[in-house]
Amino acid sequence: MSRLLDNKLSRRRFLGLSSCALATVVVGSQVKVLRALAKSGEVGDLTRLPDKSVFTSCEMCVNKCGVIARVRNGVIYKLDPNPDYIKSRDMLCARGNAGIKAMYDPDRLKYPLIREGKRGEGKWRRASWEEALDLVAKNLTELGEKYTRAGTMFLSTEGFQEHFFLMLAECYGSPNTVRHPTLCLASNIQGFGATFGTNPTPDVLNADYIIMSGANRAEAFITPDTIDLLKGDGGRRKLVYLDPRFTKTSAKADEWYPIKAGTDMAFILALIHVIVTESLYDRGFIETMTVGFDQLAVHIEPYTPEWAAAECDIPAADIRRIAREFAAAAPKAVYYQGRRSSFFSNDTQMRRAMAILNAIAGNWDVPGGMIPNGKIKLAEHVYIAPWYDDIPDRLDQGSVTYLSAKDGAWLHFRDRVLAAEPYPVKGMMIYKQNPLQAAPNRAKTLQMMEQMEFICTIDITMSDTAWYSDVVLPEATYLERMDPVESLPGILPVLSLRYQCAEPLFESKPNLWIMQQIAKRLDEEVFESFDYTIEEFVDHQLSNNPAAKQMLEEKGVYYESPTPVYRSSYGKPLRTKSGKIEIYSEKYAENGLDPLPVYTAPEAPPAGRYRLLVGRHAYFTHGTTQNNPWLHDLMPENTLWLNTQEAKKLGLKHGRMVQVKSPVGVQTLKLEVTEKIRPDCVYMAHGFGVLSRGLTNIYGKGACDAALIEDKACPISGNAAMHETFVEISPA
Amino acid sequence: MTTLTALANSFGSMATIARRPREIVWFGGLSLGVLAGLAAVVYTLVVGHEHAYNVSREIPWGILISTYVFFVVSSTGLCLVSSLGDVWGFEKFEIIGRRGHLLAILTLVTGFGAIAMELNHPIRMGIYAVISPNFASAIWWMGALYGTYLILLSIEFTSLMEGWRRAAYISGLLGFIAAVSAHSNLGAVFGFLEARHYWYGPYMPIYFILSALVSGGAITPLIVYFNHKARDRQLSTKYREFMDAIGKLQAMFLGILMFFTTWKVISGLYGQPPGKYEATMALIAGPLAINFWFFEVLLGMLIPFIILMNRYTRTVTGVAMAGVSTLIGIFFMRYDLVIVGQLVPMREDSGELVDGLLHYTPSLAEAAIVVGAICLCLLLYSAAEKIFDLEGGHRHK
Amino acid sequence: MTNKRYAIVLDTRKCIDCKACTVACKAENGVPIGRDNYRNWVTTEKLRGTYPNLGQSFTPGQCMQCGNTPCNHVCPTKATGVNPDGLVTVEEKKCIGCKYCMTACPYNARYYNEETKAVDKCTFCAHRIYAGGLPACVETCPTKVRVFGDLNDPNSEVSRLLAKHPSRVIKPEMGTKPFLFYLM
Ligand SMILES: Nc1nc2c(c(=O)[nH]1)N[C@H]1C(S)=C(S)[C@@H](COP(=O)(O)OP(=O)(O)OC[C@H]3O[C@@H](n4cnc5c(=O)[nH]c(N)nc54)[C@H](O)[C@@H]3O)O[C@H]1N2
Ligand SMILES: Nc1nc2c(c(=O)[nH]1)N[C@H]1C(S)=C(S)[C@@H](COP(=O)(O)OP(=O)(O)OC[C@H]3O[C@@H](n4cnc5c(=O)[nH]c(N)nc54)[C@H](O)[C@@H]3O)O[C@H]1N2
Ligand code: SF4
Ligand code: SF4
Ligand code: SF4
Ligand code: SF4
Ligand code: SF4
Ligand SMILES: [Mo]
Repeated sequence: MSRLLDNKLSRRRFLGLSSCALATVVVGSQVKVLRALAKSGEVGDLTRLPDKSVFTSCEMCVNKCGVIARVRNGVIYKLDPNPDYIKSRDMLCARGNAGIKAMYDPDRLKYPLIREGKRGEGKWRRASWEEALDLVAKNLTELGEKYTRAGTMFLSTEGFQEHFFLMLAECYGSPNTVRHPTLCLASNIQGFGATFGTNPTPDVLNADYIIMSGANRAEAFITPDTIDLLKGDGGRRKLVYLDPRFTKTSAKADEWYPIKAGTDMAFILALIHVIVTESLYDRGFIETMTVGFDQLAVHIEPYTPEWAAAECDIPAADIRRIAREFAAAAPKAVYYQGRRSSFFSNDTQMRRAMAILNAIAGNWDVPGGMIPNGKIKLAEHVYIAPWYDDIPDRLDQGSVTYLSAKDGAWLHFRDRVLAAEPYPVKGMMIYKQNPLQAAPNRAKTLQMMEQMEFICTIDITMSDTAWYSDVVLPEATYLERMDPVESLPGILPVLSLRYQCAEPLFESKPNLWIMQQIAKRLDEEVFESFDYTIEEFVDHQLSNNPAAKQMLEEKGVYYESPTPVYRSSYGKPLRTKSGKIEIYSEKYAENGLDPLPVYTAPEAPPAGRYRLLVGRHAYFTHGTTQNNPWLHDLMPENTLWLNTQEAKKLGLKHGRMVQVKSPVGVQTLKLEVTEKIRPDCVYMAHGFGVLSRGLTNIYGKGACDAALIEDKACPISGNAAMHETFVEISPA
Repeated sequence: MTTLTALANSFGSMATIARRPREIVWFGGLSLGVLAGLAAVVYTLVVGHEHAYNVSREIPWGILISTYVFFVVSSTGLCLVSSLGDVWGFEKFEIIGRRGHLLAILTLVTGFGAIAMELNHPIRMGIYAVISPNFASAIWWMGALYGTYLILLSIEFTSLMEGWRRAAYISGLLGFIAAVSAHSNLGAVFGFLEARHYWYGPYMPIYFILSALVSGGAITPLIVYFNHKARDRQLSTKYREFMDAIGKLQAMFLGILMFFTTWKVISGLYGQPPGKYEATMALIAGPLAINFWFFEVLLGMLIPFIILMNRYTRTVTGVAMAGVSTLIGIFFMRYDLVIVGQLVPMREDSGELVDGLLHYTPSLAEAAIVVGAICLCLLLYSAAEKIFDLEGGHRHK
Repeated sequence: MTNKRYAIVLDTRKCIDCKACTVACKAENGVPIGRDNYRNWVTTEKLRGTYPNLGQSFTPGQCMQCGNTPCNHVCPTKATGVNPDGLVTVEEKKCIGCKYCMTACPYNARYYNEETKAVDKCTFCAHRIYAGGLPACVETCPTKVRVFGDLNDPNSEVSRLLAKHPSRVIKPEMGTKPFLFYLM
């Protein structure tokens, strides 16, 4: 273990640790423990082979790729990809490989901490689990009495143990769960859902023609799409890629168009225009499977390629050609929707346009087309939540047209907390979410947190959000715990199971244990729903599928078929009102929304200002892995991308510090003068400019995009609109 | 044995070494330099090379290697020039025999010290160079030949001190051969590196021998100068004659060196040979241009050459000043040679490039070790002057 | 082992510069943190063209396990050696840290490892391949840019790839006879 843990310590022992306020109480003792551990964990020659291999799945991002943990003397020294795990096809990305460092990270959370100084001041006291849990339960109880149980919000993001957290919210009695989808993909789900009754997955492996817009698959990993996109089939496939930035996907695309941001819908409508006016659509498919094509044909008339060219900066001739090529390749042609769709406030309608284009090409549920996700059934976990009769509706009820009762609408919810409308929310329980980085307008999130009477964060590292909490509880990392079986939907649906690969370090505990302990302290009735071990829980989940249990044990994954199953949706009604693919949406019409997507041009950047773009980086997951020693090594800080010509105009040189100012915040970072971006946009990688001094590698480095992005949102889905902020740039 | 007795006595006479105020300043200053070097050595041993030095993956050899080269070139030069007397029978040069050989030993040892600080494991070298030698490696030969050379030098010096003429002659001859072999081999250490276009080729061994002669021609008159003028002593005729002779000889050496340097630059530019061209440009018009034009060319060659060519400036002081100038220039020649050979990156994106070139500046620790090494060498020599009877070089005749 | 000749064939068109290979190698081989410390790399070639006509390629690399091995020739203590199967190795305890091999390698494939106190470089993950596995960087790559195998076996994938496609090596003029082949 010495080498696993020591890398950073030996390098920074003299420098970093003593300089931060956290030092004496938390880190100081951590160093001692880490050293002791390093000594006791006898590690010899690292070139030896493992003495134990354990199946698990990666939790460094949403993809949950298949992993085999290589263990030696109880220390995980390597994570290898699981070749049988068909979803991730025998690969682990940089972050997946760096998962070890999430566990053996001197900056990880180790003990329950209770805040001593002011919020965000960073004065912590190491507490026993007993004391910390008592404090959480006491606050939950008191807040419930003072403000009703809806007075505490439960923030969380996907993860195999999130289930228990959501259960706690329900059993405690709060309707106010606020999850990540409205920061991520809510408008995608909404737009595609309204059309197909589901958000299908493009069959990248088999498609001959892919148009990808607003999805940077070579950097924003989605497995297996990222793999399939490049594995390809010997050059037969064509990739047309639209992005205001030259990304790694651009480098791999057959054609790259630096589209004017926010105008994708114009491009799509023009494609539809060409396909409809030139009768290139799949007539038979449209007749049997869809409703509303006639309305579309009329609706589409004004949207000519010439019109679109002026909107989106893509030549009309190219639009026309792409439309024809797309139609010719159909049904093995997909207009690939991204995953994150927190782009613009008209996002839902833009996704509708994408869905409609796919529909008229007839690429539904056939090889190379849009495939409705399969999902393998697990035995349901039935539990009875106590009944409380004084619980009001969700705080954000009615804030957007289609509100998910489970996910809520993040930005609208925050506004209502700040307005204390219709009722006050004074408590925050947070599991595996980091809103200070993830939610636009950081200042506002801080304001919301400031007015809270109690904040408890369960995390694995001292995230910005944890830093601003009152109680921080250390969860064991995914490598240190067994997790419930997760059914991962997709073209190749799988069951995934994490076996415990190593003993939890320090005093970290799995979330189930934490939830049990809180439940126990709330009352007996609540605890009843949590009274089992993780093994019992897993056994129950697999109780009606013994084959799955066996395959999971033997291969670390379960699937019913190693190859895609197509056409399973044919002959059955879809989950739309009409049971068909809804080109024209009756449902939208009824709700006073445009039943067919109507284009509205995005606001243009005012003179002297630039549109701030948001986007993934292959080395990082959101705002959370930047501090990981191995990933930090790859990219120690972020920069502001600015087009060469614009930099010249502003007289700003590559590498100098610049100040970036938006209506909601100011940040300072290094300038990167590059050809790789449209002149009217700027870009910075997400996740730097942190507030937490517990992230010792990156504290004080780079800038935070969340501090600059304005909190606009899509009124239909509630999805944040993160690309509608204009910033000014000046020398810092 | 007089040598040993002298050594034993030296401890007793240490206190009396620095008698005069000027000497106190001299010894004090050098001691401070040595202390700075020592401090840097300790620091390096504590924090590790990685943190103390500015050498990198792309430029693994830094100023300590060039300092090593500087000292061993000096040693070879001293040996070659001072052998002119007792080995080759040029009488004028005999008076420099003892001092020349002593300083050859001291510079060599200092050079070894410098490279030991660059090497990560000098002790492993001692073991595995013997039990697992690679005869194809120029560095192995470098160790072997310089080791032999050191032994021969010591024998020769002892013989000179003891007046064992025969032994002095034989060890001197062998030492001379060892010096030439070791030193041309040092050239080959660089010249064998096909990957480094600037160094690669047969030019290096010859160049190294030539530049050793220049070093010897610069240092020997300095020895004489500091033993006389600097101490307000009169030069005997023999010494005056020596100074004039070495001045003329050095003018010739410098002439050849300028000739070599010119062709090295021309061949580095003509036809823009890949790798070599970029390195040559770095030297003459890039980051090392000041080093090259001011220090190497002007101080190292032109000024001393002009002084030495002119009958009126080739005075005792003139020859000495030319020596100082050359010596400074040579230090930069060594530095530039070692660094410029590594400036062209082996891969386009390795390291941070400025105009397509890597860059290196010595760290404080590296610089301090260099200063320490120079001071140590001077200190040891000054002390030796006090301990040994070095004047006797021609008395045995 | 003796009748094998290991090689890696790369299809750089598939490389997305994700650096999974670099991190996998760090984990597998205990490569320390720090800019100088890596056994493999991904070269981001210079951006071609000006906005909006741009192009870029990524070229991964590592020790080429040269058939004519300059690092081996220059090593004074035989710390650097060559296995019969072509793998070029460094025996840590014999390495004196002279860095001669680093100046001799035309690919900058070597670095001085402050933790093992010896020069270090890619070994094709010898410990893994001798145990029947794949090199870590080969296995983890999302798009399988690298293919590993035995060139002495005409049926191996590397042999077949090289038979089917034209390929190049890096710096052929150095005469090092590299065993990393880049498909063209
Ligand atoms: N490495 C890595 N992979 C990840 C994640 C991660 O954090 N790191 N996160 C995962 C998650 S949760 C998600 S939601 C997905 C997100 O995956 P993607 O949906 O691919 O999302 P982004 O990276 O946000 O890609 C958006 C791209 O759209 C471009 N863009 C911006 N504005 C416009 C526009 O108006 N039009 C067009 N055509 N393009 C525009 C941006 O420049 C950016 O390159 O990635 C997943 N995969
Ligand atoms: N500016 C900007 N904002 C964005 C985005 C963007 O690209 N730019 N992307 C948006 C998108 S698509 C999404 S999905 C969201 C994602 O944003 P979030 O939902 O906040 O998700 P993450 O940032 O992945 O992780 C949140 C926290 O989970 C912690 N964590 C990781 N593993 C564990 C674990 O095992 N247990 C526990 N208890 N905690 C763990 C991490 O340390 C981190 O603090 O962000 C959105 N917000
Ligand atoms: S894409 Fe990378 S980080 Fe995400 S689950 Fe897969 S290996 Fe882990
Ligand atoms: S893992 Fe593969 S795709 Fe990623 S950088 Fe390395 S070679 Fe390229
Ligand atoms: S690539 Fe470099 S380190 Fe590897 S065998 Fe060739 S010369 Fe040696
Ligand atoms: S650094 Fe080590 S491996 Fe390299 S040449 Fe010197 S002794 Fe050999
Ligand atoms: S083969 Fe092994 S040692 Fe070589 S670069 Fe790949 S992972 Fe590293
Ligand atoms: Mo997301």
